[in-house]
Amino acid sequence: MIDSLIIYSVLSPIASWWQAWTGSGSVLLYSAAIIIYAIAVMIMISIFAYIFGWVERKVIAKIHHRHGPTYVGKYGILQNLADIIKLLAKENITPANSDRLLVKLAPILLLAIPTFLILLLPLSQSLQATNLGLGLLIIFVIIAFLPLAVFIAGFATGNKFADISAQRSVLMLVSYELPMVIVVAAIALAAGSFNLASIISAQAGFTYFAIAMPIGLFVFFVAMLAEMERPPFDLREADSELIAGWLTDFSGPYYAIALFIDYTKVFLGSLLIAMLFLGGWLGPVLPGVVWLILKAFIIALFVIIIRAATVRMRIDRILRFGWTWLLPLSLLNLILVYILFAI
Amino acid sequence: MKIDRNELMHIVRSMKGAGYDYLVKITAVDYERSMTAIYFLREMKSGKDETLEIELDPRDAWLPTVIDTFPAADWYERELSEMFGIQIRGRIAKRLLLEKWDGTEPPFRKSFKWNSDYKTADGE
Amino acid sequence: MPTRINIGPVHPSTHGVLRLVADVEGDTITNLEPHIGFLHRGVEKLVETRMYMQSPPYMEKLDYVAPLAMDDAYVATVEAALGIEVKERAMYVRLIQLELQRIASHLFFTGALCNDMGLMFTMFMWCFEDRDRVLDLLAQTTGQRMFYVSMRLGGVTLDLPPDFADNCNEFLDYMEKRLGAYENFMEKNPVFMERMKGVGVLTSQEAKDLGVTGPVLRASGVPYDVRKAKPYYVYDKLHFEVQTDNRGDNLARYRVRIMEIRESARLIREALRQIPEGDAKGMPVKLIGPAAKNRTVTVSRECPRGEAMMYMVADPQKPYRLSIRSPNFVNLSALPHMAKGHRLGDLFAIMGTLDLVMACVDR
Repeated sequence: MIDSLIIYSVLSPIASWWQAWTGSGSVLLYSAAIIIYAIAVMIMISIFAYIFGWVERKVIAKIHHRHGPTYVGKYGILQNLADIIKLLAKENITPANSDRLLVKLAPILLLAIPTFLILLLPLSQSLQATNLGLGLLIIFVIIAFLPLAVFIAGFATGNKFADISAQRSVLMLVSYELPMVIVVAAIALAAGSFNLASIISAQAGFTYFAIAMPIGLFVFFVAMLAEMERPPFDLREADSELIAGWLTDFSGPYYAIALFIDYTKVFLGSLLIAMLFLGGWLGPVLPGVVWLILKAFIIALFVIIIRAATVRMRIDRILRFGWTWLLPLSLLNLILVYILFAI
Repeated sequence: MKIDRNELMHIVRSMKGAGYDYLVKITAVDYERSMTAIYFLREMKSGKDETLEIELDPRDAWLPTVIDTFPAADWYERELSEMFGIQIRGRIAKRLLLEKWDGTEPPFRKSFKWNSDYKTADGE
Repeated sequence: MPTRINIGPVHPSTHGVLRLVADVEGDTITNLEPHIGFLHRGVEKLVETRMYMQSPPYMEKLDYVAPLAMDDAYVATVEAALGIEVKERAMYVRLIQLELQRIASHLFFTGALCNDMGLMFTMFMWCFEDRDRVLDLLAQTTGQRMFYVSMRLGGVTLDLPPDFADNCNEFLDYMEKRLGAYENFMEKNPVFMERMKGVGVLTSQEAKDLGVTGPVLRASGVPYDVRKAKPYYVYDKLHFEVQTDNRGDNLARYRVRIMEIRESARLIREALRQIPEGDAKGMPVKLIGPAAKNRTVTVSRECPRGEAMMYMVADPQKPYRLSIRSPNFVNLSALPHMAKGHRLGDLFAIMGTLDLVMACVDR
């Protein structure tokens, strides 16, 4: 069913948009344009994710009363690059009792999910690859694959810590995915559309959804923290418990990919929150993309500060928290939104 | 207090009943001709200490376990049997606690040769 | 069917080289078996081959988070065996140093506990910043920052410097303020409190049976503190309370230590006011050699991690046998009992509240 949904919602608008734009229906040209756009946006997002990684290290260091990276580049801005290069240069060790195919597949899947997401997120009114009618739904379908990728990676390496991590991944999925989707439903109800661009334009004139549904923002932010594996919900990686969780047996280039995806995930999550709750690219004077990135960085800053301020939750507590707090709150939010917007 | 090993379990139990409810430490000293095992018990309320000393023959060194009365004795007894070669009777024998010696010479006995070529249980 | 997982010897939160073999069902621990001995270097045997005052450096490496406490326990044992009296002023100096060491050690505990619970390095760095100031103070009185070897028979190596009292009081004011901030930071965090309350409960009966000592014992409601029960130095002349807590859970163990920092600060202030004039210098190391007066001595000391007891059979120049009762050893032996039935994540929280130093466990 999901297949047909994707085909329907992805391909038909693409075809119509392409025809409207060029006047001809050459799929080859269209694909080339998409690939060029994808690469350009990938590079852009990578740069911002990279900058986010540096900001995180610096901010955390300041909170710790440390200096953070200082030696590589000005203010240590090249430190993460040096780390990634070091990892890329290292040998990739595949554990003997691992599933060789899946071990190779998992990082690819991990890399593919954010890439796909980038293509679906409109960065400004003009800067977007596709403009799908059901864009928001598809985004959450893809996001739901992320824990699955972790699950695969965890079981593929055959490490017992990774096993536990994979189990936790699934347990967590149960607790936060549902409230998140209910909040998304409330947003769609308020905006009257699943289309991201129209959701953003519905927030024009400072009627940001953050003001209209603060409860929804809270639930969504918490669920996104869990999705992005950030403290206090970083149970899959849990350095002090599971060594590195599903990443325990990853090494070399694959580990570099995982590290990079870590930052990208947070940045994309912040982008999504900025779009859904803070009016995306809306804002005076500056161009839309700048506003979007700025808002995303402000949200990312909160994510960083939370990391520096709280201990990790326990798995059973997360389940209880998800079902006794997040779910009722998200339903309450839905009802409030219904009263506010639909009536 | 000097006691005999055969009455150890009985004495320890009755002392616990009399208020000595805390086992501080079990240790041993090798005096070459004889060995002494020492039990430090404490009355927690007043902080009063009592020691039980048991003289042992190094060639026939065994002690009954007090693990039923004091669970704290578990690791101490294992340490004793490993380091002094004192066999602890009446409990499940567990693996060596601190090191893997080949078992010919308990390391804390005075007869232990410092520079002898010892082997660990793994044969390394 | 439980899975058997091997935690350590190389693991971020085992506080050294400790190997835990845990049977887990999902995330719940059904059985736990600590494997120790990776740091076993036979200190007790090694000491038998050294002159009395050659051993303090070994003793300090037992508990490298609070080296002075172990050093003191050993030197006090030797003093008891040789029948040497400690000078009046030296007693105060030692007490001040020991209580400063206790503050440093408990700060280390607070930071490491938060690390184990997943708050990566925030508290750890803050506590280390403060601990650094304690080390500065200790450097002023002992000449070293980490391994002091400053205890001498009958006294200490260096007396307190003239401006020490002012520096120390200034630090204690600062520390008390910071401590309040830390308490706010941690105890107002619902996630932290959730993971501390009711986890790893030891009733007072269990605590006594399992033989745990120090803050762990006091957190279970047993008010036993060597400083009160068998006062040494001038602890009986100073005023302090034995900190206890009846709950026996993680929170209690953490609270007891935080309160002990306050009590230590009080003790130091009072000792600084009362300290008499005079000489605090101990005997130079080369002068030892009087025959031991007492064949066997037992000395107990309240180290930051619990009661360290040294049992020594003395020979004229060397110990014939030295048996060290390490507080960490007994505390670790209680871990399987405490961790059973808890989640894997809580295992490390419980271990954090035990405040283990593996070098001291293995000896």
